[in-house]
Amino acid sequence: MNEMLRAPAEVKYAEELEWLESIDDGPKPFTWRLSPRMVRLFILGSERSDGLDREVSQKWFGDRSFVERSIVTLASDRGLLLIGDPGTGKSWLAELLSAAICRNSTLVVQGTAGTTEDHIKYSWNVSMVIAKGQSRDSMIPSPIMTAMEAGVIGRFEELTRSTSDVQDALISILSEKYVSIPELDDDNIVFAKPGFSIIATANSRDKGVNDLSSALKRRFNFVRIPVVSNKKSETEIVRFRTEELLRRHRIELDVPPNLLDILLQSFADLRAAAASATSDDDKLESALSTAEQIGVLEDAILHSNFFGDSTLRAATLAGSLVGSLARRSPEDLAILNKYLHGVVEPRSKKDGGEWPDFLEGGRQAIATLS
Amino acid sequence: MIDGTFAALRDQLTQAAETFAEAPDTVSEILTGIVDDVDRGMAERLEIFPVCHHSPASALAMARRLRQKQPKVIYLELCEDLRPLLTELRNCRLPVALQAFAGEIEGFPPDWGPLSVVAPITEASAEYQAIAYALDTPGVELVLVDRSADHVFQWLPRDDSEETTEPEAGGGDPDEDAGMHGDAVGVEIGDLRPRFRELEGHLLHHGKVRHWSEWWDLYVEQPLAGADYATYRQVMMLIGSLFRRLTPVGDRRLRTDEDRERYMWTRIREHFGKAGVEADDCMYVCGAAHAASRVEQFGLDSTAGFDITPPSGSNWLYGLIPSSHSSIEAQFGLAGGSVSIAAASWEKALKASGLTPFRLSGQKGGKPRKVKPVPADPVSGDANRLSGFLSTPPATRELDEAELLAWSVDIVRLARKNGYLSSTADAIAVFETSILLAGMRNRARPTPYDFQDAAVTCIEKDTVPGRRDVRRLCEILLGGDRVGQVGYEALPPLAQDVYDRLKPLGIDLRKRTVQRVLIDLSAEPQKRQGSRLLWTLRHLLPSDSVRPIMGVKKLGEESLQESWDVSIGSRQRDLIELGYEGVTVEQVLEQRLRRKVWSPDATAAIALRAVEDSILYLGSRRFTNELGARAIDLLKAERTVDDAPEVLRRIRALVAYYRSVDPKLPEWAETFVTTGYAHYCTLLPTAFTDEQTGLRQVGAMLGFLFTMESVAIALGCDRTQLELAVKQSHPETPAKLALRWAAQFQLSQLPMSGLRERCDDLLGNPLVLPSFPQYLSGFIQALDPVPTLTPFVVELLSKAFGRLPDTVLLPWLPNLITTLRANAAELVPVLVREAGRTFPGNLAGVDTWTPPWSIPDTPREAVTVAPSGPVTELAVRHSTAAQAIAAALGHDPAMPEFTPGAAGGSADAAPEVAALVARHPDSATATAAVLGVAG
Repeated sequence: MNEMLRAPAEVKYAEELEWLESIDDGPKPFTWRLSPRMVRLFILGSERSDGLDREVSQKWFGDRSFVERSIVTLASDRGLLLIGDPGTGKSWLAELLSAAICRNSTLVVQGTAGTTEDHIKYSWNVSMVIAKGQSRDSMIPSPIMTAMEAGVIGRFEELTRSTSDVQDALISILSEKYVSIPELDDDNIVFAKPGFSIIATANSRDKGVNDLSSALKRRFNFVRIPVVSNKKSETEIVRFRTEELLRRHRIELDVPPNLLDILLQSFADLRAAAASATSDDDKLESALSTAEQIGVLEDAILHSNFFGDSTLRAATLAGSLVGSLARRSPEDLAILNKYLHGVVEPRSKKDGGEWPDFLEGGRQAIATLS
Repeated sequence: MIDGTFAALRDQLTQAAETFAEAPDTVSEILTGIVDDVDRGMAERLEIFPVCHHSPASALAMARRLRQKQPKVIYLELCEDLRPLLTELRNCRLPVALQAFAGEIEGFPPDWGPLSVVAPITEASAEYQAIAYALDTPGVELVLVDRSADHVFQWLPRDDSEETTEPEAGGGDPDEDAGMHGDAVGVEIGDLRPRFRELEGHLLHHGKVRHWSEWWDLYVEQPLAGADYATYRQVMMLIGSLFRRLTPVGDRRLRTDEDRERYMWTRIREHFGKAGVEADDCMYVCGAAHAASRVEQFGLDSTAGFDITPPSGSNWLYGLIPSSHSSIEAQFGLAGGSVSIAAASWEKALKASGLTPFRLSGQKGGKPRKVKPVPADPVSGDANRLSGFLSTPPATRELDEAELLAWSVDIVRLARKNGYLSSTADAIAVFETSILLAGMRNRARPTPYDFQDAAVTCIEKDTVPGRRDVRRLCEILLGGDRVGQVGYEALPPLAQDVYDRLKPLGIDLRKRTVQRVLIDLSAEPQKRQGSRLLWTLRHLLPSDSVRPIMGVKKLGEESLQESWDVSIGSRQRDLIELGYEGVTVEQVLEQRLRRKVWSPDATAAIALRAVEDSILYLGSRRFTNELGARAIDLLKAERTVDDAPEVLRRIRALVAYYRSVDPKLPEWAETFVTTGYAHYCTLLPTAFTDEQTGLRQVGAMLGFLFTMESVAIALGCDRTQLELAVKQSHPETPAKLALRWAAQFQLSQLPMSGLRERCDDLLGNPLVLPSFPQYLSGFIQALDPVPTLTPFVVELLSKAFGRLPDTVLLPWLPNLITTLRANAAELVPVLVREAGRTFPGNLAGVDTWTPPWSIPDTPREAVTVAPSGPVTELAVRHSTAAQAIAAALGHDPAMPEFTPGAAGGSADAAPEVAALVARHPDSATATAAVLGVAG
């Protein structure tokens, strides 16, 4: 475990999952390792009223009903499609669900423009085919097929990035729950075992690139994950992820709470500006999701740690913010410039604190990029 | 008193407090306190019936109890001054709201007006059961005891820091029917919701529900639906007391509530003392929170007094307005669909229990029935039911498979109607997911909200194909919005009058749909009255209740055919609120116009507009004259000319209108013109120099002076005043300078050649060239007051476009366009017409075209006109003196030769005239004969 840069959820929370399984007496669908209520508890954390001996930390922050709806979808015979803006925690939720339900969140197909049907079904080990001919031994099953055989959850990331014909390969998998291998004479059907399901994620910003066919839509339940706009939850998420990050990089650095507030406030302002923008040119290209905030903070932390004096400063944070959000020149830079002078400047005069530093850092970063 | 009834429960709670709480004193005080409250409420000799708003359980318990007890007097927690309205309920389709409205306010901050209080009444409510029973059962008296509408506002804090009810999340987009109450203050019976935000959050979180309405339904409503009366009363009192005791100290609403309780008990005791009835025959219906009151005035036997403040001087009017479930939800911050779901549960509970509810006669299903007594509950109402209720988990109702199946099938059908690609497979999935979701949330039976979540999960995809999403469709399926209607008999006189007068047009205002009316005024002149009423309503009603599709109403314009969309039926509130202002629409309009012109911020333009409205809609000459007189006073008092363009536009239209109907202008209009002439003449020099006064305003002043000049001079004004005013004007900005030149041109103080010369100088001078566009702007504004200048303006524009450098011309172009756009009606037609006349009409003409101003003037033969008249004769007669004066003034003293007497008008003076007369001697002789001159 220590060898891994980032351990999957089932490894990271292995001990907690074991413990939860040991105390779980609820009914479990199919071959699930935990009952639906326990899955919810694992993801959303425990409360005093649950009466558990130990505390289970909250791992995904968002409306409880999204998690509940996701779990019941997996317990039914439909696939689950998590849809939302980039950085809203779709993949993390998918990973947590797979880890809790079947202790395996690594059976993932990444959807790209180059994804082919082989990545979803199976492909062949050409050398072995030449040596021994086509057989189950020379076949390379895809992660989805492996999940079918094992009766666990298969994941499909960024479903809408792959082309429509590739997406449609999922239709038969989701309805008939088997894959036939016409190349083989016998043993040529792989049946899904109970417990198999698919969690796909799709980016709502990619809408229209490769739209799902109606037939596939019908086989998925859609759960839309919104951008977290609740300040309290967002603080929790940023704090949770930052701690994890510092631990991972073994960095001893303190994130002052007022800087965290500045970060959250500036994102909230920029989101409000994006919401009131009338054209795409008036809003930042970034979705301003919580993940972006974490990215900005991570960047600032690493910068302070390696190039600074191991203290996180407002100016560094502003530099990271500009650096991460300015993707298009001049549009994004103009928006950030307007934000710094129209919002941050009056605030730094009025409130003081770290804001003047933040303003100065932002100005410098924009000057460098312009 | 029932000593010891709750002793065991009290002990149990004290023990629990000691065991669990860190500071047992406070907790045990609260816990035992609520038991004490229940004890006190139950022991009161006047039977207190605690209710919760929109609670079918309350309504059921009320229907049962009324049958058992058959009280003679019912005291109801509702504004006492709304009592006369209740009988009108029988003419309405519920839900409707009782409204108290005060347009003229006194004793309140002026910006509060108009004051409006609404109390919505739905069928699935305990109060409606009580009202229906009391009004339809002979010998039963219904007494409203809560503070009056006036006191609602008297008790409101005067500062702005008033907290408002936050709507519950998840309500979705507000529906079009959600705003039916306008901005009235809502009052309702039995508001029962934690005042302690953390408590509500805690209950929702642990109940695994999202809305308060859902929590209430699950944990109180359902367990109480089949409970006996004693359990119902005790539990409701307990909850009321709990929420009350957990209210933060110093909460304003708690203080108001306590005052209301003092008020209600004072009123109850007053009535009870006078009516001489037995306490056993009475019942007091109030919100559960008031049942657990601890005020001194509580109880029939209390002697504590409460001073009820006298009402303010505001003039309160009362009426019924239509309401809807969504308006009630929006007004009281309930979750979207909760009132509809309550209504559906009420219907279902009625079916299940076989109970016949009370309905007012006159309403659907309502006929006076003799109320048959029902035996009382076998267990005495005094027994302790709380311990049992609190210690047993709520009896979860089993899954109603048929109901859920029906919902699942219906939602799929509804979704498909709304553009979703849903199928039977979805119905199965919704059914299955509902059960799974309910299971995850510890419920055996999916609640409507679980079902809604399941439907959204299974049917909602990435886009919403139609107008409504699945969440909204579920709300519609589970009850739908119900919109009430006020019947004809319950309408105020104004609304009844409108209904009657619109009938000949074939409009049925009972329908809620938009109705199209076609009026052919040439074929059916009798419909003219109806058409005028529609126009008046269009003018008075705020919304689009009455909308003309075809036809106009303007001064001097009449439509032969009109087409209207009338939706008064679905927007009755506007009409009803109009009814508070007067008895007929004409009276309301007259009052409004009068108010408008007499208000402190009235201006002459506003008064002229009122005059126009009165001509269009009222047709009363007396009233129009009165408004006109006011317009004159306002104009005289005005010290700025900001409204000059508006005044000019309106008075011009009015004068044109009057001329078209009558050769003589009304007196007020004549006075207005003469006053305006003098007024604007006086203000003109200041306006020219004042930086604050815009070009448009000065242009409009000149427009008034020049276009109204003929009328004004005919009525005795003197042109010299205007000439002097222009002479006194010394503008400094180029634009106003140009305007002054235009004025001088109009007054013949400056010839065209002089004007042209000045402008050419400007164009030729590189130092002033950059400001030339500003001169142009001034000339463009002069188009309206000095129309004869139009060819010159066209010439100037052409020259500017031809000769100004781009750096000067281009920045000014947007200004030109915006000016022309803003005053398109006055400026553009004249300019375009003149340009059409000046420029060649085809391409071939362009090559040979020379601008008219570039063609050199061919000198015409000068016509010597001999000056004549007594002055010339005098000068000639005393030529020496004249020459001396001329020399003193610096003129050439040489005088032309004149023959004295030649100026007397003989034929020699004008050779053309003499030649004409010589050519036609007969005519000349005849004319001379007619004129009585010797030939």
